[in-house]
Amino acid sequence: MSALTYMFGYTGRVTLNSLYAVARVCVLVQDTAYWAVVQPLRGKGLRLRSAVEHFVEFGFNSLPIVGLICFLIGGIMSMQAVYLLKAFGATQYVANLVGVIAVRELAPLMTAILLTGRSGSAIAAEIGTMKVSEEIDALEVMGLNPTKHLVVPKFIAMVTAIPCLTILGALIMIFGGFAVTVWVVGVEPNVYINNTINAIKIRDFATGFSKSVFFGIVICLVGVYRGFQVEGGAEGVGKMTTSSVVTSIFLIIFVDLIFTYIFFF
Amino acid sequence: MAMELSNAEKDGKYTIAVKGEIDLYSSPDLRSAITKAIPSASAALHIDLSGVEYMDSSGVATLVEGLRASMEKSVAFVLLAPAPPVLKVLQLSRLDTVFTIKDRA
Amino acid sequence: MPEENGPIIEVKDLVVKYGDRTVLDNINFHVNRGETFVILGGSGCGKSTLLKNLVGLMRPHSGHILINGQDITEMTDVERVEVRKKLGMCFQASALFNSMSIGDNVALPLREHTKLEESTIDIMTKIKLELVGLGGFENYLPAELSGGMKKRAGLARAMAMDPEVIFYDEPSAGLDPIVAAGLDALIRKMQSTFNLTSIVVTHEMASVKLIADRVLMLLAGKVVGYGKLEEIEGSEHPFVKQFFDRRPDDESDNRDDYIKSLTGQDDD
Repeated sequence: MSALTYMFGYTGRVTLNSLYAVARVCVLVQDTAYWAVVQPLRGKGLRLRSAVEHFVEFGFNSLPIVGLICFLIGGIMSMQAVYLLKAFGATQYVANLVGVIAVRELAPLMTAILLTGRSGSAIAAEIGTMKVSEEIDALEVMGLNPTKHLVVPKFIAMVTAIPCLTILGALIMIFGGFAVTVWVVGVEPNVYINNTINAIKIRDFATGFSKSVFFGIVICLVGVYRGFQVEGGAEGVGKMTTSSVVTSIFLIIFVDLIFTYIFFF
Repeated sequence: MAMELSNAEKDGKYTIAVKGEIDLYSSPDLRSAITKAIPSASAALHIDLSGVEYMDSSGVATLVEGLRASMEKSVAFVLLAPAPPVLKVLQLSRLDTVFTIKDRA
Repeated sequence: MPEENGPIIEVKDLVVKYGDRTVLDNINFHVNRGETFVILGGSGCGKSTLLKNLVGLMRPHSGHILINGQDITEMTDVERVEVRKKLGMCFQASALFNSMSIGDNVALPLREHTKLEESTIDIMTKIKLELVGLGGFENYLPAELSGGMKKRAGLARAMAMDPEVIFYDEPSAGLDPIVAAGLDALIRKMQSTFNLTSIVVTHEMASVKLIADRVLMLLAGKVVGYGKLEEIEGSEHPFVKQFFDRRPDDESDNRDDYIKSLTGQDDD
């Protein structure tokens, strides 16, 4: 009996807590949309300078690590492909494989996961620290809306930076494949380039691009949500920062699954 | 209660009379009035503050700006008969000695 | 600002709950214009919660808070912004924005809420910083200042919009006695020169005796003392006397529980 009560109680609590979390996220999304879209249309200012600063931080400063990882993954992918395709004497088709996978899948995903670790966690930590040190309260007492001042600039920066990074990442990934296949395996460079161009369609770019925008939304909102959840002191900040990375990687892969299902299945 | 401004000019002496409250929201108007008046005041710019009921630090800052701009154009910047609330705020920010203050012209 | 009559803040039948726990129970008081009002109590008595309700960071369970006769508990968030422009708050840990210089911290509310020119704001910022004894520090970052200087900078920021009321949350917490005394003097100076209403939340008896006009004393979410400082000092309420005499709680009666918790047996 008591086990049954416990089970129902547990299920009920988990359900209620999840619903509560969903409600909180909906409020956050609505609030962000309101301050990012509706208010600027009414002529109330956007904090563009702050958005640009964040764009540089999220986008430009992430470029070296995103570029390096994408280059290496492109190389790894082509080595795996060469190993498989050599048996059929079809090493020139490595280009098709690497190109399509990079643009559709791996570049958006790798960029999003790197940005989660680099910037999503930073967003959670910054907002969490501001909450602990009462800076969020200070904003509110001054009559300044925290969503407008803290969330929206980050949101705009993230949503614009991540597609740019993804496209650059895809190109670098293709170049990584090119480097291995052409310089190590010895496929003709123009064959590789031609095959790549033939393999990739506009649709591939469009899906990779739009997917990355959604990844950006996920990274930013999860970071912000976890940041605002911080309670207590420095320990709380650490906990929520970690949690933001885990949640956001899970949600990115989940969003990716849905996207792939809609576009290619 | 808002702020009212009225201008008068006599022998190169330009006077802006301020009535009401100089606060965060009315200070920009006072500032633009002073900025516009400086070129037309050939000798002196008088700010009549006798009718001021309240002035906050934005008012002080605006007057300091006026003083600065007038000094660049070598126009004398004079505060005319400041009402007690004005005097008090000037004293608090320790700027009462910086301005030329006259009782009545 | 036109001098209005009546108290600047009135609190009526205020009840605040966290879940099922009642944190503040039926609080009634008012704050007169231009006085220094101290909210006093031990740790966890609900004084910080009371402060958060007064500035509108929390909404109470029931009751009313009137600022200048307007009930902030019934306002929308947009209407509250207008009221908050008249309020300044000094936070316990100063809560300066760490990414901005001291000057930008002070200028922020002016830039966001008014149409003042940047040059006017610049002069105002310098005046405010000079007022709190931080003249020339406008380009420093908060991390480059000491604790006492941060609190002063926080006060300058709270003063930025020339508020009618300033709230201080534990102004002397974490400061050495000399710096704390300096801050007390500053609170007194702001109050006397600008006729500012000051509401100070504290448990420092030394500063209470220096700054308070009237005192509200809380114990476990209830009012146990309310009135002029002299009246509270002469109060017969056991907790108030204990607090003012700085006597610790009686700890001897814990011994039985302690022994039982160690041995699992009663000590007979």
